[in-house]
Amino acid sequence: MTIDIRASLDHCVKCTICETHCPVSAATPLFPGPKYVGPQAERFRSEEASVDDSLDYCSGCGICSQVCPQGVKIAEINSRARARMKAQRGVPLRDRVIARPSVSARLATPVAPLANAALANPVLRCLVEAVMGVHRKAPLPRFTSRPFQTRQRQRSAADSFRAKSAKVVYFHGCGVNFFEPRLGEMAVAVLERNGFEVIVPPQDCCGLPLQSNGLFSEARTYVRRLASNLAPYARAGLPIVSTSTSCSLMLKREAHEILGEDSEELAVVSEQMFDICELLADLLGRGELDRRFGEVSLTVPYHAPCQQRGHGIGSPALDLLELIPGLEVVEQEAQCCGIAGTYGLKKEKYDIAMAVGRPLFESISELGASIAACDSETCRWQIAHATGVPVVHPIELLHRAYVGEQ
Amino acid sequence: MTPDTVVIGAGLAGLTCALRLTEGGCKVAVVAAGAGSLHLGGATIDILGYDPAVVTSPAAALGSFIRSHPGHPYMRVAPSLWAGALEWLRARCEPLQLTGSLDENLMLPTAAGALKPSALAPRSLAAGDLGSGGKLALVSFSALKDFYPRLAAANLNRAQPGPTERVEARAIDLHGTVAGEADPGTLRLARAFEEAAFRDEIVARLKGRIEPGERVGFPAVLGLHRSPEVVAELAERIGEAVFEIPTLPPSIPGMRLHALLNRALRKAGGRVVMGASVVSSASHNGRLEAVSTDTGSRRSSHGARDFVVATGGVSAGGVTLDSSWRFKESALDLPLAGVPPPGTERFCADVFGSHPVSRVGVAVDEEWRPLDADGRVVYNNVRVCGATLAGAEPHKEMSGNGISLVTGYAVADAILRS
Amino acid sequence: MKTIEAEVLVIGGGATGAGVLRDVCMRGYGGLLVERSDLATGTSGRFHGLLHSGGRYAVKDPSSAKECMDENRVLRRIAADCIEDTSGYFVTTEKDDPSYSDLFVDGCRRAGIPVEEISVSAALNAEPRLSPRISRVLQVPDAAIDAWKTVWGCVRSASDHGGRALPYHKVTGILREGDIVVGAVVEDRAGDEVRIRAGFTINASGAWAAQIAALAGCGGFTILPGRGIMIAMGHRLVDTVINRCQMPTDGDILVPIRTVSVIGTTDEEASDPDDLRILQDEVDRMLADGETLVPGFRQVRALRVWAGVRPLFKDEKAESSSTREVSRSHRLLDHHDRDGVEGFITITGGKFTTFRRMAQDSVDIMGAQLKDERACHTHEEALPDSEERTYYKLGSRLAAREERLHDEQIICECELIGRRALENAMQRRGSSDLDDIRRTLRLGMGPCQGGFCIYRSAGILHSLQRIDAASATASLRDFLQERWKGLHPILYGDGLRQARLDDWIFQGLLNVEQLQS
Repeated sequence: MTIDIRASLDHCVKCTICETHCPVSAATPLFPGPKYVGPQAERFRSEEASVDDSLDYCSGCGICSQVCPQGVKIAEINSRARARMKAQRGVPLRDRVIARPSVSARLATPVAPLANAALANPVLRCLVEAVMGVHRKAPLPRFTSRPFQTRQRQRSAADSFRAKSAKVVYFHGCGVNFFEPRLGEMAVAVLERNGFEVIVPPQDCCGLPLQSNGLFSEARTYVRRLASNLAPYARAGLPIVSTSTSCSLMLKREAHEILGEDSEELAVVSEQMFDICELLADLLGRGELDRRFGEVSLTVPYHAPCQQRGHGIGSPALDLLELIPGLEVVEQEAQCCGIAGTYGLKKEKYDIAMAVGRPLFESISELGASIAACDSETCRWQIAHATGVPVVHPIELLHRAYVGEQ
Repeated sequence: MTPDTVVIGAGLAGLTCALRLTEGGCKVAVVAAGAGSLHLGGATIDILGYDPAVVTSPAAALGSFIRSHPGHPYMRVAPSLWAGALEWLRARCEPLQLTGSLDENLMLPTAAGALKPSALAPRSLAAGDLGSGGKLALVSFSALKDFYPRLAAANLNRAQPGPTERVEARAIDLHGTVAGEADPGTLRLARAFEEAAFRDEIVARLKGRIEPGERVGFPAVLGLHRSPEVVAELAERIGEAVFEIPTLPPSIPGMRLHALLNRALRKAGGRVVMGASVVSSASHNGRLEAVSTDTGSRRSSHGARDFVVATGGVSAGGVTLDSSWRFKESALDLPLAGVPPPGTERFCADVFGSHPVSRVGVAVDEEWRPLDADGRVVYNNVRVCGATLAGAEPHKEMSGNGISLVTGYAVADAILRS
Repeated sequence: MKTIEAEVLVIGGGATGAGVLRDVCMRGYGGLLVERSDLATGTSGRFHGLLHSGGRYAVKDPSSAKECMDENRVLRRIAADCIEDTSGYFVTTEKDDPSYSDLFVDGCRRAGIPVEEISVSAALNAEPRLSPRISRVLQVPDAAIDAWKTVWGCVRSASDHGGRALPYHKVTGILREGDIVVGAVVEDRAGDEVRIRAGFTINASGAWAAQIAALAGCGGFTILPGRGIMIAMGHRLVDTVINRCQMPTDGDILVPIRTVSVIGTTDEEASDPDDLRILQDEVDRMLADGETLVPGFRQVRALRVWAGVRPLFKDEKAESSSTREVSRSHRLLDHHDRDGVEGFITITGGKFTTFRRMAQDSVDIMGAQLKDERACHTHEEALPDSEERTYYKLGSRLAAREERLHDEQIICECELIGRRALENAMQRRGSSDLDDIRRTLRLGMGPCQGGFCIYRSAGILHSLQRIDAASATASLRDFLQERWKGLHPILYGDGLRQARLDDWIFQGLLNVEQLQS
């Protein structure tokens, strides 16, 4: 597989379409662009020492691979080259920490109020920036003191929604577990409303932040563990549903294409992996979606995050949201919010990430909406940070519409 | 959402067809491997430039061209559709102010200093028309590696459009970096032109260097999405007409056209799935039921009543040739026409010659449905448009975007009628 | 007619001629080299780029093998900048006779070639694209060598010692005074004749040696041109030279050189050394052979195909019918002994790897004839740019580009050629032929085959104000036509797609077809 990724450089005809879409090279000349660091530079790479530091400015958003009409796995080539460079140069402590959200969250959860206060403290943030290299203004989420897993365990059987015809597994990811447990609860409610019994198996990080920070072997450990947790359900034919488009993409595609993982467990999990909107839109297509929505009188800008587009499933969220009476959804043209997982947290990348997202931020601000929607957690945090507009997962709007109807 | 029509491909043909269908009330999903080829072209709508001598009026030349090119995609276009297709595009791309007509080709200067016949072009390009000759000052930026106006000017001076029309061209070099960059590329330059301070600088540097009556030609970098204002402002401040010449890909005019059509499609309610190559399909009783795209781990099925193949030709990957010399239509494995028999030439020895490979594509009936070698319709509900069609030599005829626009429009028409 | 005087005239600007020029100049003679075309455009510029360890000849031709290994060591010492130390594997594929590998090991040991067996898994780990069906791997000190850099390096070295090379000077006649050769008549690029008077003439014209010798009235031998095709694939499939461990045959080697991998080669007897046809059948065979070494080879982009001719020497009495059976060792013809003609020797045959040795032998013979024996030093002094004795590295251009990322335009994006290097080469070469610049820098030799950089290069060439627009346009069109020769026989897959895009750029966008050259 890793051979296929590299070999895809042959498809590059130098058309430069990737560079015209690259949000990072549009924002900074420091990044020479996806074509340059991707299929072009790759021809000069071997087992020799890595020489092209500029490739580290790639945020890994993956837009280049999506728009390439020739099928070059540009982002994946870059990702692998970046990892090789980092393996040679060493990965800074900062990247090792921010790449392990579940580890820091487990430490912080018991003292969530304290941790949140500390991270909201500008003086401490300056200190964190100086010592760790996490930008003082970077959008860090607030820890919950009651993780989603705890909430689910404490949920009584009576809370569950009537008789279940079908089962689904909910892969909630670290974002829901430690930072946005309410989203998880809403996702479960929406699924149950549509007749699913929702199983929430124990689960840890998928390894995506490690992978995007070039820590491939650590990332493999995480993704293998997760895949083996989820594999029994997948083998039984249960759909695995996710509210995190980036973590689900990791299991669906990136662990295989970037890390070169080709275990049977991962393969079966990735085959059963569904974005929650994709699953619900499929129900809609079959005429099985519960369409009794209450009115939600809002104008909501919707940003399909890069990783969502990487799924190659179109925009199922738009198909669902257009069913809600009163809701006007404005699909955003701007491509990327800039955060790219952990990229925009870094001191040296923060300004670039903010510049990348500027067209999106401006467009959202211009609408004057009270709320925006986006499928990916770190993107929501970034957009909210930059615009001051609260950003929700599309599921939250569906949930609102269901609740409103009841 | 189950769409009424799935359009495969997001180039000019696919977008035209999808947008027109959407406007006609169809639910349309565009499924595309990538962003299409509009970025590669100069956004000119070349209907017919050579037959093989230069064509001055496509309207006058098309009749005999079609008669002498049986199997050409233009053969299937109803005469009533031509003008409609051009007007339709003109209206969709209002900010570009598409200029020209079927009646007379514009003769637009290229970055190498040749003249290129195009029926329709964005106004910023059409303003460089040399059909009646004229005096040109071509401005370049030494930092831009994709435009050499000295060479272009010298070649234009050698290539006179006619016995009486004279071209007098010269180059003006603006030296130095652009916005501090040594190698900015067309895209960054276009973004720079959207900034007032940069325009001020350019106007100041050109002051006193333009002679009265000279049209001022720039590489096509005068703004990305705000180009009409940028061009108008420069013309006003310079005091002479300003025009653009397309450069090497990525073409900024192509990006403008791409953005307009995409936005129009999304606004009209069309859906686009990008990064999705069709890898298989299901059919029943001569009807295509669904196409499947690769989503990484599993296939995603897209069912519809009608399907349109607008995947482009060889250069876009719509038609492929493998190392065992087998041609293949890449989305649905449709039968191909014009395939050079084994042992015969695929190409000729002259690089600019008439290569048999150019004509390979899908043959269609009058309803644009794919035909097999015996002339039988392969799928009743599949239609083919754009460069996937057999029988054309778009580069030599100068007919590429023309075929895409007109056949994309005609296919939508056929679907809406059915 | 213009007349030039030279102590020693060297005919032929391939590796041998350049080596001879350097050798005579280092021995203190005034040397002048003439070449009908550009330097290294005959056989030397048309091979796969292998610096032999000698392994290929270990079984069949032990003396050649030893000679290769000796020269391999010398070139590593004097031409390190031209060499990438790739190492080489001889692999036994499922199609090879397994018993050959033992013979191979014996042959290597006898020829003094360091050979080491490595496990199949270690080889696959190092070269993951290699066929997993190989059963044995033997490692030898093969390497990749850049022919153009080497030849130009020799010429630069020669000019440091007072020598001079004249590309585009075609020999049309040999000057004889009685039984003594006293120089040659050449025709320059403009078609003007130039007379060169020389004290001694060395015919180093390789596959064309018999034609040149005939001009001097010397015969009795023929050069069988053995035509072989090579295909450059779009990127490095392997970083080690891969040889099939079997008797020499078609498609038995894959050489990683610069940014590409070259598969070679076929062997067809040709009647004319200028017959560089590419037959479909040869291409098909080569692709099939590639698949044996690297599964998936047929899906890799083929960049370009070309043919070269081996100069295989045959004295009139030899009877062999197949060219592969003719010895590849070089031949030195002392025409004084053979034909009674003085002041003239011919050196032919041989291999790129042994060019320096061939030069040394030639100049020794010349010294003997002139009764002026001087010692050879070509094995001691490094070529220009190789003084540091560090091997070329694949990543070197990327590293250099990284340094200049923000202060220089990149003109040829595939081969990472910046504007300064391009302008310098144009000035230095003084040529308006973009194909000459190509060989100097690898301009337009990457995946897009000039699609993006050649318009730029023509514009830059024109802006340097040495030529007018008509010549710059002609140079652009000639470049495209010349490239096309090596493209159209291998256009499929990604290469075909690229070619159609390039065609769109030059016809659809620039309309250069309509420009008058």
